[in-house]
Amino acid sequence: MKVRFWGVRGSIPSPGMITRKYGGNTACVELRVGQDERLIIIDAGSGIRTLGNALMATDLLNGPIKTDIFLSHTHWDHIMGYPFFTPIYVPTTEVKIYGPVSFEDDPLEAVVGGQMKYRYFPVNVGELSSNIEFIRLKEDPLIDLGDDLQLSTKLLNHPITSLGYRFEYNGKVVCTCYDTEPFRNLFITDPSDPDYDEAMALEGDEVAIEQNMVVEEFFAGADLLIHDAQYTQEEYAARINWGHTSIEYAIAAANRAGVKKLALFHHDPDRTDDQLDQLALQYCGSGKSGETEVFFAREGMVVDLT
Amino acid sequence: MIGQQSDYPRENMELNKAEQRKNIEKFIRRMPSLSTTVGKVMEICSRTDASPNELNKVISLDPVLTGQVLKLINSAYYSLVNKVTSLTRAITMLGMNTVKNIALSTAIIRTVSSAKRSKALPTAKFWAHSIGAGVSAKLLGELKGFSPMEREELFLAGLLHDLGKVPFGDEYIEVLNFARWEQRPLIEMERELMGIDHEEVGLMIAEKWKLNKVITGCISSHHDVDRLEGEIGQQIALVSLGNIYANILDHGYAGDPFPAEENIERLLDFVDLSMKDFGSIGNSVGDEIHRAEMFLQI
Repeated sequence: MKVRFWGVRGSIPSPGMITRKYGGNTACVELRVGQDERLIIIDAGSGIRTLGNALMATDLLNGPIKTDIFLSHTHWDHIMGYPFFTPIYVPTTEVKIYGPVSFEDDPLEAVVGGQMKYRYFPVNVGELSSNIEFIRLKEDPLIDLGDDLQLSTKLLNHPITSLGYRFEYNGKVVCTCYDTEPFRNLFITDPSDPDYDEAMALEGDEVAIEQNMVVEEFFAGADLLIHDAQYTQEEYAARINWGHTSIEYAIAAANRAGVKKLALFHHDPDRTDDQLDQLALQYCGSGKSGETEVFFAREGMVVDLT
Repeated sequence: MIGQQSDYPRENMELNKAEQRKNIEKFIRRMPSLSTTVGKVMEICSRTDASPNELNKVISLDPVLTGQVLKLINSAYYSLVNKVTSLTRAITMLGMNTVKNIALSTAIIRTVSSAKRSKALPTAKFWAHSIGAGVSAKLLGELKGFSPMEREELFLAGLLHDLGKVPFGDEYIEVLNFARWEQRPLIEMERELMGIDHEEVGLMIAEKWKLNKVITGCISSHHDVDRLEGEIGQQIALVSLGNIYANILDHGYAGDPFPAEENIERLLDFVDLSMKDFGSIGNSVGDEIHRAEMFLQI
């Protein structure tokens, strides 16, 4: 398996001179599987536009483009590039789009395709002539994607339903774990609070610890883990419940789970190249933390696991 | 036109009105009171600022409700890999909103089912109508700039507006037949044939169950176009419009296929919305109904 990052940013694209090294596009990861380089795309943030252009220039020459797109969730920064993914305008293209939607929400097709309405965009979703199928995903311990590629999905902790993906092929594992923040005790823990309930407080702690362990088991032993790392621990303290993880937590969790390579991902849009370089020096200056190789994901970066 | 079809055998309906009323009053007296927990669940779940502690506490006070909520969370609909065995777990994993919505819908369905007496109105169709009315009232409330909390209350009031039809016995089938045969509003037929209508019966239940003022008002006055006033009048009018909308849409069935459509304009005037506004919710109603029905597992 081979991974290429086309967008590593969170929240909103952040182009400009101060982000050119790590890149300003939002989430999009290309995964190539097997000898025939089967194409899997994870997330359709603004980075999918340049991926689409690359596919038009290369893959299309060898025949129709066929791909599976897995959306971690439907927040804007993860779907905004979809209307600009040129292959969907080519009639021979076949795309399957998988992803979760929050339980009370519209179907995936309406949430993602709904961006292509005249009020937002000059082409209506109904005008697309390519073959596009939307498939709703929930938590699932095993989905057989064919050709020996297997997938499992895990419900993460984000304000809307967000899934982590674990792709396994030929003994190698690529895992995504974003957007998410560590589960925490939501219940009142201060005994002097009139609403305090000891049993609830204790169970809240227990469940949070247990759920975080379940997430670590999900990415245990991964050859590559792409993890939410939007904030530093210090910044996170003021952003609890926003649905993102600190760099420190992501590294510690990957260490505990025996992850081989950790790509810190979903960089804050305000983070400059200089700051990311500085953080890289601070957190993974040696390139390693424990047994885990740690780096900040960068647009254009390729990780070859073959 | 009405007169032409009056050969429907009216003698079947020679019911003793006094007896009818007595039966219904007796039935309502014997109905269980609304459990305090369900009342509290309704209150907490329609508040946007409720804390996880409050939500957890109020649901766990009622073991049956707790069981139903967990059963739903562990259903194929959510398809979670690990079984969720406690509310604390459910709230941590799925978040407040999901658990709140499940608890509220479960509590309401259970509550209304406990009051049901006859098969006159098929349950699934009755709920479909109530959901249609609730969803329409909520969407109209959005047009009026109501806050999310007020809109939830409108949805709830719409869900419960026909509560008063629930205790009618099998003789109600005849009343429904007459309303359809004579193409007249159901409430008029109820008054004429039974001497008591679903607004009055609904009020008795709402008082017994101590439902809040807005919901009680919507149950007891959603056909009283002439007597609406003040802020609560606005909410009642929106639920009345929601009810008419669901009837026009022909979504579900609550026995009133010929509502007093001449009331639409007066109600719209009262809430200061145009006929165009009224029609504009059409785009979202279907989706919202679908969503609510999925959630209520109808």
